[in-house]
Amino acid sequence: MEISHKRYNRVDLLALTGRLDAASAPQFKQQIDGLFDQGRYRIVLDLAYLEYIASPGLRVLIEARKRARDLKLTDLEGGDVRIANLPPRIKEVFDLTGFTSLFEIFDDVTEAVGSF
Amino acid sequence: MDSLIIPATLESLEIASAFITRATAQVGLDDHAAWQVQLAVDEAVTNIIQHSYTDATRGTIDLSWRMFDGQLEIRLRDHGQRFDPHSIPPPDITSPLEERQAGGLGLFLMNKLLDDMHFEHDPHNGNLLIMIKHIPHPIGSVPIFSLGGRLDAVTSQQALERPRAAITSGARRMLLDMAEVTFMSSSGLRALLLLRKELLAHGGELRLCRLRPHVQEVFALTGFTQVFAIHQTREDALAAFGQG
Repeated sequence: MEISHKRYNRVDLLALTGRLDAASAPQFKQQIDGLFDQGRYRIVLDLAYLEYIASPGLRVLIEARKRARDLKLTDLEGGDVRIANLPPRIKEVFDLTGFTSLFEIFDDVTEAVGSF
Repeated sequence: MDSLIIPATLESLEIASAFITRATAQVGLDDHAAWQVQLAVDEAVTNIIQHSYTDATRGTIDLSWRMFDGQLEIRLRDHGQRFDPHSIPPPDITSPLEERQAGGLGLFLMNKLLDDMHFEHDPHNGNLLIMIKHIPHPIGSVPIFSLGGRLDAVTSQQALERPRAAITSGARRMLLDMAEVTFMSSSGLRALLLLRKELLAHGGELRLCRLRPHVQEVFALTGFTQVFAIHQTREDALAAFGQG
C-alpha cells in the first residue's frame, strides 16, 4: 500500500492506494500516530484509490477516529478523522460492518477538507 | 482442486490471495463472489497468523480448495493453539463510536461473505476451518443433480436440498439424473412436483433422465409420465431444454 500525505493549514490529507490488510495496516497506523504525535488531529483520508480493505484496516480506522475525537483542540472543537471517496468494494465492507454510520463520509476531497 | 502450504507470516497473505484468485477463476465465480471469497480467506489467514501461532510457535498453514456438491470448498489447517470461534463475541455493529469495539470484525466478515463455514479441532491435526461458497448458476446453464437410493418421505427433503439451493442461487433449468434411485414413494413424487412447480414459477424447466424400470412404473401408474419431461439419456434431456 502507498500513502501520500498533503498538509493543509488546518487539515492533513492522507491518500491511500492499494491494499489495506494485515500486512499494511501497521504502516498506516504508524502514519496516523505520527500526525497525532505532532498535535495534528484533523485528518482526511482519501480512499479513492484504495482497492481493498480487511478488518485490520478497519481496526486502525476506528481507533484513529476514537483517539482524534477524544483529543479536544479547544473547548469547542475536537479532532476528527473523516473520509473522502468510498469506492464500491470499500463501501460494501463499510456497509457490512456498520462503518458507514461511524464515519463522516464525503463525495470528494475538497468537501471533506472544507468540512473542518 | 489444488493445495498449498504457506508459512504463517504476513508475507504469505499475498501468496494466499494469488492462490485463491486462481481457484475462483477455475470454478467460474463472478467478480463479486470472487472478491467475497478473497476477503474471507484473507481474514481467516490473518486470524491464524495473529492468534493461532505465537512468535515462538510460528508454523505453517495448509490451504486447499476443491469443488464439492456444486460448491467451492476451501480448507485451512494450522497447528497452532486451539481456536474456539465461540470465544470471540460478535461485534455490535450498531453501537456508536464511543462504545464500538475494534475486535471480532474478521470473523464477523467471514460469516457475512461465505455461505457456510465451520471450525474443527483435534489434538493431532490442529485447527481446521472449512469455508463454503455456492457457485451461482449462469443464465441458461443446466446443472445436473444425481439422485440415489430411496426417494420417500424421509429422504426426499435431503435429496432435493441441492437442487433447491441451486434455484435459490439462480438456476432455472435443471436435470435430475435418476439412474441410482431404487425406490420412489408418493412422498418422493410430491417432492419432485414441488421442485418442478418452483422452477416453473421462475420460468424454468425441470427434466428427468435414466429412470429405472420400476421407478418409471410408479410415474406411469400415477399418470406422472405426462407431467414430467422424462428422457432416456442425459444427452437427450440436455438437448430438449428450451424446445418446449
